[in-house]
Amino acid sequence: MTTAIGYNPVAMDARTNETWLDELRSPGPVRDMALDDLHSIVRKGLPYALSRWLSPDDPLFTPLVDEVTQETLLRVLDQLDTFEGRSMFTTWVHKIAIRIALTELRRKRWQDSSLDEMVDNEENPAPERLMADSQASPETSAERTDIMTRIRRILDEELTEKQRQALIFLGVQDLPMEEAARRMKTNRNALYKLLHDARLRLKHRLAAENLNAQEVLSAFETR
Amino acid sequence: MDTHPTAKPQIPDELIENLIRSLEHTHDEECTCEDVYAVVDEFAEAEFRGEDAARLMPLIKQHMELCHNCCEEYEALLDVLEKSQSA
Ligand SMILES: [Zn+2]
Repeated sequence: MTTAIGYNPVAMDARTNETWLDELRSPGPVRDMALDDLHSIVRKGLPYALSRWLSPDDPLFTPLVDEVTQETLLRVLDQLDTFEGRSMFTTWVHKIAIRIALTELRRKRWQDSSLDEMVDNEENPAPERLMADSQASPETSAERTDIMTRIRRILDEELTEKQRQALIFLGVQDLPMEEAARRMKTNRNALYKLLHDARLRLKHRLAAENLNAQEVLSAFETR
Repeated sequence: MDTHPTAKPQIPDELIENLIRSLEHTHDEECTCEDVYAVVDEFAEAEFRGEDAARLMPLIKQHMELCHNCCEEYEALLDVLEKSQSA
């Protein structure tokens, strides 16, 4: 671990949740010192948080970390009263930083990409295509076609245009939820609810038609 | 009402398959991304301490099986907890 002068991780982590809250609420140098420490904690955590997406050598890395750290501290101060003490204060802060960082990263990754790039993005490969037709026997192929036709009809009847659009954004273009939500002028939470509603409708409809999900899937898997 | 059926984008087979597969994890009551965000710090700490977080908060686990973004954010948080300690 790098030990910069004056940096004492033990002392930083030694604050209780109450101490953090008290210090961040006190005006003057006490608050400034707590904010400085929190700044270091966020900056130290972000490389771990981002390790699956972004290397520290990436030119995007430092500007993103700077931006996210600033935004995190602002948000923490703004939302201090919502902290319920269900976790360590620093874990709560890391959670906020991660939400900001990944939202920003997803937005950056997707905002400039054209539709063509979206379909075949190397980092977000499209789901493996099933090659059922070529090797299926005539009977299984006919059975499969029959089930597929039924399922497609059910989808046509049950899904709203919005639900269909959401599924295509997420499943075909592989957009992250947040990006799909942005394009649909909604938010991630509402989009999740929209999709939950779609899944529930389908589930109930399949049950009503005595179609078992496993049977349907095995029709897909028949090769 | 719907006078242009051909304008509808076709849903590809593999997406239908994924959709059907997700029905196994579909329940009448599911928590939302906001619900997960509210407790994911608590969830990650429990996992970090070696407790069975999925058993303690089954609805959260269930949401994360379906929601890639929430799952990513949880894993990133767990990475921070684990790697900060070993650093
Ligand atoms: Zn979610």
